[in-house]
Amino acid sequence: MSETYYDLMRRQGISRRSFLKFCSLTAASLGLSEAGAQQIAQAMQTKPRTPVVWLHGLECTCCTESFIRSAHPLAKDVVLSMLSLDYDDTLMAAAGHQAEEALEQTIAKYKGNYILAVEGNPPLADDGIYCIPGGRPFVDKLRHVAKDAKAIVSWGSCASWGCVQAAKPNPTRATPVHKVITDKPIIKVPGCPPIAEVMTGVVTYILTFDRLPDLDAQGRPKMFYSQRIHDKCYRRPHFDAGQFVEHFDDAGARMGYCLYKVGCKGPVTYNACSALRWNDGLSFPIQSGHGCIGCSEDAFWDKGSFYDHLTTIRPPGGLGIEGTADRIGLGAVAVAGAAIAAHAAVSAIKQARSKTRNDKVSEAEK
Amino acid sequence: MNIDRVSGQVLSGPLEPIYVYEAPVRLWHWVMMVAMLVLAATGYLIGSPPPSIGGEATFSYFFAWIRMIHFIAAMIFAVAFLVRIYWAFVGNHSSRAIFLPPVWSGRWWRGLFNQVAYYLFLKKEPDLWVGHNPLAQLAMFAMYTLGTLFIIVTGLALYAQQWGWGTWPMNVMGWVFVLFGDPQEVRTWHHLAMWYLLLFAVIHVYMVFREDIMSGESVIGTMTNGIRMWKRAPKP
Amino acid sequence: MATIQTQGFTLDNSGKRIVVDPITRIEGHLRIEVNVDRDNVIRNAVSTGTMWRGLEVILKGRDPRDAWAFVERICGVCTGVHALASVRSVEDALAIRIPKNANIIRNLMHATLYAQDHLVHFYHLHALDWVDVVSALKADPKKTSELQQSISPWPNSSPGYFREVQSRLKKFVESGQLGIFANGYWGSPAYKLPPEANLMATTHYLEALDFQKEIVKIQTIFGGKNPHPNWLVGGVPSPINVDGTGAVGAVNMVNLNMVRDICDRTIEFVDQVYLPDLLAVASFYKDWAKIGGGLSGQNVMAYGDFPDIPNDYSNNSMLLPSGVILGGDLKKVHDVDLKAPDQVQEWVTHSWYKQAQEQNGLHPFDGVTEPNFVLGPATKGTRTNIENVDENAKYSWVKSPRWKGHAVEVGPLARYLVAYARGNKEIVEQVNGALKALDVPVTALFSTLGRTAARGLECQWAAHKMRYFHDQLMANIKAGDLTTANVEKWEPSTWPKEAKGVAPCEAPRGALAHWVKIKDTKIDSYQCVVPTTWNAGPRDAKGQIGAYEAALLNTPMVNPTQPLEILRTIHSFDPCLACATH
Ligand code: HEM
Ligand code: HEM
Ligand code: NFV
Ligand code: SF4
Ligand code: SF4
Ligand code: F3S
Ligand SMILES: [Mg+2]
Repeated sequence: MSETYYDLMRRQGISRRSFLKFCSLTAASLGLSEAGAQQIAQAMQTKPRTPVVWLHGLECTCCTESFIRSAHPLAKDVVLSMLSLDYDDTLMAAAGHQAEEALEQTIAKYKGNYILAVEGNPPLADDGIYCIPGGRPFVDKLRHVAKDAKAIVSWGSCASWGCVQAAKPNPTRATPVHKVITDKPIIKVPGCPPIAEVMTGVVTYILTFDRLPDLDAQGRPKMFYSQRIHDKCYRRPHFDAGQFVEHFDDAGARMGYCLYKVGCKGPVTYNACSALRWNDGLSFPIQSGHGCIGCSEDAFWDKGSFYDHLTTIRPPGGLGIEGTADRIGLGAVAVAGAAIAAHAAVSAIKQARSKTRNDKVSEAEK
Repeated sequence: MNIDRVSGQVLSGPLEPIYVYEAPVRLWHWVMMVAMLVLAATGYLIGSPPPSIGGEATFSYFFAWIRMIHFIAAMIFAVAFLVRIYWAFVGNHSSRAIFLPPVWSGRWWRGLFNQVAYYLFLKKEPDLWVGHNPLAQLAMFAMYTLGTLFIIVTGLALYAQQWGWGTWPMNVMGWVFVLFGDPQEVRTWHHLAMWYLLLFAVIHVYMVFREDIMSGESVIGTMTNGIRMWKRAPKP
Repeated sequence: MATIQTQGFTLDNSGKRIVVDPITRIEGHLRIEVNVDRDNVIRNAVSTGTMWRGLEVILKGRDPRDAWAFVERICGVCTGVHALASVRSVEDALAIRIPKNANIIRNLMHATLYAQDHLVHFYHLHALDWVDVVSALKADPKKTSELQQSISPWPNSSPGYFREVQSRLKKFVESGQLGIFANGYWGSPAYKLPPEANLMATTHYLEALDFQKEIVKIQTIFGGKNPHPNWLVGGVPSPINVDGTGAVGAVNMVNLNMVRDICDRTIEFVDQVYLPDLLAVASFYKDWAKIGGGLSGQNVMAYGDFPDIPNDYSNNSMLLPSGVILGGDLKKVHDVDLKAPDQVQEWVTHSWYKQAQEQNGLHPFDGVTEPNFVLGPATKGTRTNIENVDENAKYSWVKSPRWKGHAVEVGPLARYLVAYARGNKEIVEQVNGALKALDVPVTALFSTLGRTAARGLECQWAAHKMRYFHDQLMANIKAGDLTTANVEKWEPSTWPKEAKGVAPCEAPRGALAHWVKIKDTKIDSYQCVVPTTWNAGPRDAKGQIGAYEAALLNTPMVNPTQPLEILRTIHSFDPCLACATH
């Protein structure tokens, strides 16, 4: 017999009574009647665990590492009881042919019903030969598995945006999943890596409520990515007060002042770090003294130094000009100022000349 | 007095004072100017904050004030712009100038080239215009009007962030982030737009003073009392 | 093809070709091809890294102070080590000296990674090569409990505890949805553990999964998160404040207490679970003390790490010493100089890169990384559907680093052999103790089992060092030193026009260094030579094989369609291909 969600809840110490109560609450929240609650209970007692295929492209595997750090729920409970991780090269026992066979079996058996989780991304340059697990371009494998998936979860900034390998000049043309797979619902869970509990939170949300989370305009679950680090940062009062760390390890740093002036990207970064924090709620980058580098944002690698507040702009064409908006703007205004001064001088000379001429003319007219 | 209705060029005399900038336009101009200077000052400080101040965070709201002033000025600036747009519909011919350069008018293009030649000292005297000369008009449209629109849109988007995705301000402005890719990019462009506008302002102020002295029309006075006076006749 | 002799090995690719791709339970993408003879003994081995991202290319023109964040993303498994290598190299280039606290905290974070990474490797990436999960269902929980209690004082040892785990496992298996255990090699005669030992190890697989996430919290305290904590050129980003205003906003007493607690618990877990398991499992697989030695009996290398004295990377200071052993001669240890142009060099003759003269190796200060994907004439399949690679041509995204032209093995075993040969007292004692417990000679270390054992011993060493570093930190704070960063040369305007630097690092998988050249405040060239590059690399211009290829040779396979033996030896290196190719 397949292990079900009901079994899992029972094992976690939830009584049958509270299980049924959970079902009717769920039904009520969905606007269903008592019969609906029974349907839910029925489904939860018989439904097999949702199969998940976890693919790896160009990546650093730190999304997997983050995932196994989850404290609530524990990664082991997710993997053993909540879902069925039918393919994941990083954790699975089988290798080579046996691994590929397991993959094909899952695709065949659960057509349209499995979830595809992608860590990393496919490189598209040169026929995709920069990532060739199994001797074939990863992008082909991705397309193949995506075809019959119910939905796709893009783990981390690699799958969501491209991340470090897509930083300029992106030598392999590493490309985020949504630019390759366009006909499936895709949930982006960005971050480099994402917070463990955010990863398992997304998974458990899907399993518990049997629906995909609400996404924002960028395709990220609103529940974790709708607000900025800055909006919930505990150092915000120091920001408002104008109390900044000017240098690492200065007096302000030791008192926990705001890290804005040493480059904190909290004001432009959508993630849950300042609210949920990392590793079982222990800390997050800012709490440990380093600014947010914006690791959940698209192209955060290419905004200039992590220690500058203003982006370094490199105008296209490789003119060799580079600087912040202030340097470029001030430069332009200075050039304009010089031009104006020159123009004003010439104008004054011309004016003076034509005046003397006019005077002469009028004198002559007298 | 013979005036080309489309381009506003004065073709022939006799010249008489004309009411050009209606009171709302004049009022708007000076209010907007003050708002913009406040915005630029506070905006610069938001990008490059002044040295930290000490003491208890509870008793200071210094940086937040800078931002608050920026936002208040921004709202005045944005609302003033809206009012100005409204006035373009109900005001006189000149009230539409900065929104609609008459690029379909041959006379306007000739005027534009003449004006450029004039500034390059290739032509002695410029044509006479009821409103802005074509070059000024083009600069006002391309730099001021579009720049202002851009800075307001990006500014409102940055402002909307404090509510987060899924709230009405972001439902209205969120597309800006999708368009630019990420918020730091929007921030950078907002910042660049400030310099674009300041660039306009510098050139504009120079031209205003220069033309007030050198051209055939009154200029500064026109933005105070609305009336264009003439110092000489149009060249045939 | 005829046979080829190299480094005392005989390569013969005439037998049946077997491909294992993907190699699973590793980091990144690795392909292994072997030829087996009629007796199913491996006679030729080919190691192919199948991914490349181009970090060295991407780093060009960037701010050297940012480099740590880029290179940290080379790998999330050995998270932070590239960042450490990076900040050290930049500090070397710019002559920045880090404060004592920063050195201690870096050591502490680094030791923390060792403990967690080794633990995860043993249980989650390696154990299933030795442990038959399905056989655990047949175990008697009572006997398992007795076994557990006989080998360690670990408290989770009651029959009821093991029964519960077993019943959970049973349910899982009966569900028919085997998840990550699907299609495993369960029941293979290559598995030697009795059911009770299998149940014990499987139980600890789950316990270790829960526990490893506690260890890394030390990195979270000082680096803000894990994986991928934050680092800083010139020190560490976390300020210390134990009694001043705002101490709650810095590293404070509460954090330090937690660190202490984690150190203690890590020691406990490694001493009472990992090491006893390792010895118990090893005692059933002693034949693997004769298999898979590869290069380890010949050439091994370590750069050394854990400087006890800040900014001093000599053997005077490093708790894990550096050195090279050649030809298995433990009596002579050669010194390593990362800046000497003739010592560390990389070849691309058999790698998918190009350079001017491919018969020559390049020192990393002159290194070039330019992709060039071409396949040899004997390749089977096509460019986008490779069936067999041609090892006589280019066949891997991994380069081939060599030390003075020698192929060497790196990693915990190499470190331990170097430390042993250098007479490091702690390590000599630890090694001799383990050899005695297993009743095997020192040559048993030159093997698959030796590699796995050295990692376990090193994990124990690291766990105890965590406490040592924490004690040091407390003592230094007590002495009134709170400094964690040196910002004298933070501003690029203080830098010379041109500079270059490199510093040693020992990542969990072996010797690691980054060579950086800075010009006009920007990175002019950045080259990483990484542990798995040394081990997984392909042949060089002379046809010398690397550590993976050497270690697979002469391994008898029980059943060539089930690559268990290949997995055992390859996993004993703890491969990381994202690292290897970067
Ligand atoms: C002439 C008009 C304006 C100028 C010159 C201006 C200038 C600036 C500058 C230079 C910044 C700093 C950006 C950075 O950090 O790099 C800024 C920030 C900002 N501006 Fe404006 N701005 C203008 C109008 C507006 C408008 C119309 C709004 C709309 C509400 C607005 C909202 C903001 C917001 C929300 C920020 C970010 C503040 C923060 O993150 O703390 N601005 N502005
Ligand atoms: C931030 C600075 C300023 C900005 C952005 C600005 C912008 C503008 C704009 C958009 C117009 C066109 C009005 C319309 O046609 O509706 C205008 C006209 C004018 N501005 Fe300004 N202005 C600035 C500062 C000044 C200053 C400092 C002066 C004078 C001392 C000035 C004098 C004038 C005059 C005289 C006109 C009318 C020009 C004409 O008659 O063609 N402006 N300005
Ligand atoms: N090889 C390697 Fe690493 C390690 N240890 C790093 O330098 O794993 Ni990803
Ligand atoms: S998103 Fe970041 S953490 Fe995740 S795999 Fe990519 S580089 Fe690693
Ligand atoms: S530390 Fe960063 S996120 Fe926090 S208040 Fe300052 S700028 Fe905002
Ligand atoms: S750097 Fe990343 S981890 Fe959070 S605080 Fe910033 S998004
Ligand atoms: Mg390299």
